[in-house]
Amino acid sequence: MKRHCFNNVRLGLAIIALSVFAVGCRTSANSRYFGETVPPTRNILRYVTGPEPESLDPQIPDGQPEARIFLALYEGLVEYDPKDLHPVPAIAESWEISRKIDEFVFHLRKDAKWSDGKPITASDFVYSFRRGFAPETVSRTAELGYFIKYAKAFNAKSVFVKKNNQFLLAKDFAPATEAKTNEPENNKSPENEQAVSSSAIAETEFHQFIKSPDRLVVSGDEKERAKAVEVNPALKTALEDSEFVPVKGEDIGVEAIDDYTLRITLRQSAPFFLGLLAHQFFRPVPQQAIEKYGKAWTRPENIVTSGAFKVKEHKPYDVLKVEKNPNYWDAQNVKLDEIDFYSVEEQTTILNLYKAGSIDAFSNHMIPASWVDEMRPFKDEYLNFPEIFTQYYSMNMKKPPFDNLKVRQAFNLSIDKVALAEFRKTQKPLYDLSPPSISSEYEKARSAVSEELRLKSNTSPEEWANRNHFNPERARQLLAEAGFAVQQNNNAYTCPSFPADKIALSYNTFESNRLVAEFVQAQWKQNLGVIVPLKNMEFKTFLPMKNAVDYDGLALTLWSADYLDPYTFLGLQYGISNNGGSGYYDPKYDRMLDEANSELNPQTRYEKLARAEAYAMNQQPFIPLTVGSTNWMKKPYVKGLYPNPGTLHSWKYVYIERDPSKWDSNVENIMK
Amino acid sequence: MLQFILKRVVIIVPMALVVVSLTWGLVRLAPGNFYTSEKKLSPAIEKNIREKYGLDKPVLQQYLIMIGNIVRGDFGDSLKYQDQSVNEILWRTVPVSATIGILAYLLALLIGLTTGTLAALKQNSSLDYGSMAFAMLGQSVPNFVIGPILVLVFSLWLYWLPPARWNGFLGIANLILPVVTLALIYAAYIARLTRAGMLEVLRSDYIRTARAKGLSERAVIFRHALRGGLMPVVSFTGPALAGLLAGTVVIERIFALPGLGNVFIQSCLNRDETLILGIVAFVSVLIMFANLAVDIAYAYLDPRIRY
Repeated sequence: MKRHCFNNVRLGLAIIALSVFAVGCRTSANSRYFGETVPPTRNILRYVTGPEPESLDPQIPDGQPEARIFLALYEGLVEYDPKDLHPVPAIAESWEISRKIDEFVFHLRKDAKWSDGKPITASDFVYSFRRGFAPETVSRTAELGYFIKYAKAFNAKSVFVKKNNQFLLAKDFAPATEAKTNEPENNKSPENEQAVSSSAIAETEFHQFIKSPDRLVVSGDEKERAKAVEVNPALKTALEDSEFVPVKGEDIGVEAIDDYTLRITLRQSAPFFLGLLAHQFFRPVPQQAIEKYGKAWTRPENIVTSGAFKVKEHKPYDVLKVEKNPNYWDAQNVKLDEIDFYSVEEQTTILNLYKAGSIDAFSNHMIPASWVDEMRPFKDEYLNFPEIFTQYYSMNMKKPPFDNLKVRQAFNLSIDKVALAEFRKTQKPLYDLSPPSISSEYEKARSAVSEELRLKSNTSPEEWANRNHFNPERARQLLAEAGFAVQQNNNAYTCPSFPADKIALSYNTFESNRLVAEFVQAQWKQNLGVIVPLKNMEFKTFLPMKNAVDYDGLALTLWSADYLDPYTFLGLQYGISNNGGSGYYDPKYDRMLDEANSELNPQTRYEKLARAEAYAMNQQPFIPLTVGSTNWMKKPYVKGLYPNPGTLHSWKYVYIERDPSKWDSNVENIMK
Repeated sequence: MLQFILKRVVIIVPMALVVVSLTWGLVRLAPGNFYTSEKKLSPAIEKNIREKYGLDKPVLQQYLIMIGNIVRGDFGDSLKYQDQSVNEILWRTVPVSATIGILAYLLALLIGLTTGTLAALKQNSSLDYGSMAFAMLGQSVPNFVIGPILVLVFSLWLYWLPPARWNGFLGIANLILPVVTLALIYAAYIARLTRAGMLEVLRSDYIRTARAKGLSERAVIFRHALRGGLMPVVSFTGPALAGLLAGTVVIERIFALPGLGNVFIQSCLNRDETLILGIVAFVSVLIMFANLAVDIAYAYLDPRIRY
């Protein structure tokens, strides 16, 4: 028996030794690349975009994983540039914009076709937009399109008010407090009146209607109307003995002038609207399939798409295979024959698949923080580029102690964000509401405004540049000024009067959120002597609490840009019920943003936005923490896949390079 | 016997409804909703959603509608994955989980019964100690540790097997790692149960009688001892099989398998009420039937048990 055991042990040892040998051979052969690096034999890209897509209907999901899939399946009026995401012509070949930037006329290409061969016309867009805003579609992203005239009214089932056979106008009933919000009529001068002027487009009846002064829109619900009257007594006479006409899809500011000319009319100037149009919500959906199959139109056997790819096979929770769409107008330039989008969520599983060569690339932030140092040296594969994903701590400004500006500033200044960014490895410090990566033009405007404010405040350039940076000394001083004196004993600080036990730092359960919270907690303890308790909560429990500003102390806010304009970040604090989670509301700030957005000159607009940003930052509604940088990998043979700031890829430019001499080496140069 | 079975089957339906009702209550008590996401919805959009899904109706009415639908076997569409109905998701994911589960259980039985029986027959030998130590190890190391270690060795060092994903029912290479990972824990458990059961039976009078009759050792063990010694394993098999059919969350997530366990976790995180209730109803009925099957098997294996 004993002898037998010994034999087993020897056998085991032999197997282990052999395995180690095999491992050694394998890794040394390929050490330049991470794991198996063999291009697939077909023109196919195997990609992990995240979890199972919620739906293949572009007007339903609001997540990034689906957005990437929709970029393959549907094409919009404009598309994202593969490198910097600015809007480039797609189904719309060209466009004209009114001087007030509230009307857009798009000229569609005549060779655009659905995957079933039917031409894509302006009426397809009209249908798609109306469907997107229709209340029964229950699109969660419809709000992005509320800039389109009457779109919000249609989406909210609101009504027009008709009295004596005449529609009442909004301007006659504007409440005194809202008069300042710059309704388009208020500043209409003759030269502003003119719509898109250069093209010789015939005036239509619809256009006359949509350009006429805004009609009064009130809620379709009687109780809501009664509430509105309470707020604005002027409405009372309007609503008595009136007829209520529901706002219909036909009333929204979208018009097919002819088969290949589309006009979109907005309710206000929106200089960023063109960039917004690349969002999946605005991509056309196939009327022919939706009307024929109803809810089942997104099934692989029924679905019709407008993009470079069409659905080949969909195995939910496993894989979505899309193949080249031969009817796509630019099909000859689409290089991939197929993309397989795998649904995988576990980060380590994704990396395992990548290392084993089962996938060729994966989406952003899938590398766990503990692996980043291991992956960085793979210079041909690891992509570390600026992006538009920010992290803040919101503070409950409605309750003590964070209702005090000095407390908010003290908590901000006592965090060493450079150290935090280094600790996070894939982040850079953030000192403002919007990240510097959004646009270089805005960056210029921001520094001009900053310089102007510096001169006004009479501070030295150095002092000014560091005013929002880590400064524990100043933080303690501010906290003391707020009434919470910081005491020093034996090199350690304490702040006994601060009600740390009454507040908490809340975040949704996620490894990196915890790491950041612990880091920041240590900073406050060290620099202010305040020990803030941490509170982690499940995502769906955390969100409603934060959105309602129903927490004590601080809460995490993560934000990624919907479009490449600083407004997507500045808008976080806009309006009385905003996404900022701090309960910040300042009519002056709103006014500054409104003014900026009705500015026609882009550079002046940026300056005005920068001024508004500086104004809001002075009140510190947020503690800006870090801005992300991309954190993903691709095999060197995958070409044309760029680390743009939103990780939104234009798949039609992607190809598989089989000649190793042409593979990407040192991806730092990839954007050049 | 038949009466016993009928009685048990009849009680399954109300039991399942109680389980579903409790689950519904818990889902409703949990904060958040299937449509909550990072971006705050405008009140108009939220209202549209609540109207569409009947969330604006009185709670009792919503409960009755839900129970009515479940009784009719209509679980509705998933709230999150709107393109798919709950029935469809069950039909698609259960076979995946069942394949992995049944294969793992067969493998576990093979390993567990052999080592358990051998250990019992050679009690206190080094074989006994060795296999039981191994079983202890297998039972105490969780599968989220064993799985990644196997992946590391066989997928990332040796490049022999794919590290994850499902490749159809015939994609044997993709099945090996999850099945082995899952089997190891059950094998360890079964080995210990078998050993304990066999040790008890081997000492009993009827085995002595069988030996006294002059039966061969093989006949004693296979015809008489195993039958009694396996009772603990049988009672373990029912719930274990039901659990395996219903999917194993950890394995399915580590290996990115499109099985029921993976979907179940997702549905809870998504507050996907229809999907949660559908899965709970399915799994609870499955477990109750599995327990019934165990009771029937008892009667077959142990002549002393009669219903």
